[in-house]
Amino acid sequence: MRSLKKNFSRGIVRANPIFILLLGLCPALAVSTSLDNAVGMTGAFTFVLLAANIIVSLLREQIPDRVRIPVFIVIIATLVTIVDLMLQGFVPVLSESLGMFIPLIVVNCIILARAEAFASKNGMIDSIADAVGIGVGFGLAMLSISLVRQLFGTGSLDLFGRHLFTIPPLADNPVVFFLLPMGAFFVVGILLALFRWMGVSRSE
Amino acid sequence: MTQKNGFLPVLFLTAVVFVSVVALIATDAITREPIAAARRAAIYRRLQSLFPTMDDFAYDEESGLYTPFSEGDPLGLAFMAYTRGFGGTIAILVGLAADRTLRGIEIVSHRETPGLGARIAEPAFRDLFIGIEIDDIALSRDGGAIDGITAATISVEAVVEGVREAVSARLKHFE
Repeated sequence: MRSLKKNFSRGIVRANPIFILLLGLCPALAVSTSLDNAVGMTGAFTFVLLAANIIVSLLREQIPDRVRIPVFIVIIATLVTIVDLMLQGFVPVLSESLGMFIPLIVVNCIILARAEAFASKNGMIDSIADAVGIGVGFGLAMLSISLVRQLFGTGSLDLFGRHLFTIPPLADNPVVFFLLPMGAFFVVGILLALFRWMGVSRSE
Repeated sequence: MTQKNGFLPVLFLTAVVFVSVVALIATDAITREPIAAARRAAIYRRLQSLFPTMDDFAYDEESGLYTPFSEGDPLGLAFMAYTRGFGGTIAILVGLAADRTLRGIEIVSHRETPGLGARIAEPAFRDLFIGIEIDDIALSRDGGAIDGITAATISVEAVVEGVREAVSARLKHFE
């Protein structure tokens, strides 16, 4: 029970994929322009990570060492394709807004890293805890990045079509820089420095 | 150890790929119909925003022309226009009425800068195309009917150019 909690909470702060491990930055930078995208990407990402961790942990005794990386990649790519087709067929609205980001999950190195570093060495229950913890950590990181970018880039916050609030002077002169790719690097860098400075995160 | 089970890894990987292929074929079989239906529904929705009275449409694969119908009567034509914007390809659905005026445009997909070029997808810009003559598809500074958007010149020019070229290329279907 204790280890379960540890495996779960590790991904949130101590081994946060974005801010500590600096993994999966490419999709994180690409889709963190709005809270909606952050939530959708986190959902799809967590599902694939969870399924991949479960399958890899169940097969960990059988997978020959020499081909483990190709096996992981085949498993992950298959899961992503299934998610992609299912979304297109049954949730076309979500598929439309996340369309091009879903295939990006295949190359999201966090999932491969968790398969290699955790699921291939631990049991199913622990791997589930690890996947959910990493998913929450990824989600929090995505939300904090996209919160800053959407707020400064558009001057207002919306979540799934519901308007939260507007900062009038900012909405009249939005800092579009934050929505551009370079703005993503800027925000991630500032947040990284901030969390280090606050002592929230320390490199392992 | 690697010598002893030399073929095992190969067999294992093959088996994994086989299972993966089976899973994908099954997923494809389950989702093919819903995906086709969802695509058709999306096209229907976009066509209907150009031709509000439309109740059915036909699609000719060879020419790429959509023909919207209202109670069996054709309302005009619609077709895709592709153009190169600031961030990548912009896909536009163009609606043409039978009297050779535009019924408007729909931005199907684009990768323009949010807040700047992305404003081409907003009604304030798209609606400028509604009801104008084919010859007026040009920016107002070039004597056309389309007002530009500040700080989005490249995107706006791309859309105007793309629509004009697509329209003139399709005019021969109109006779």
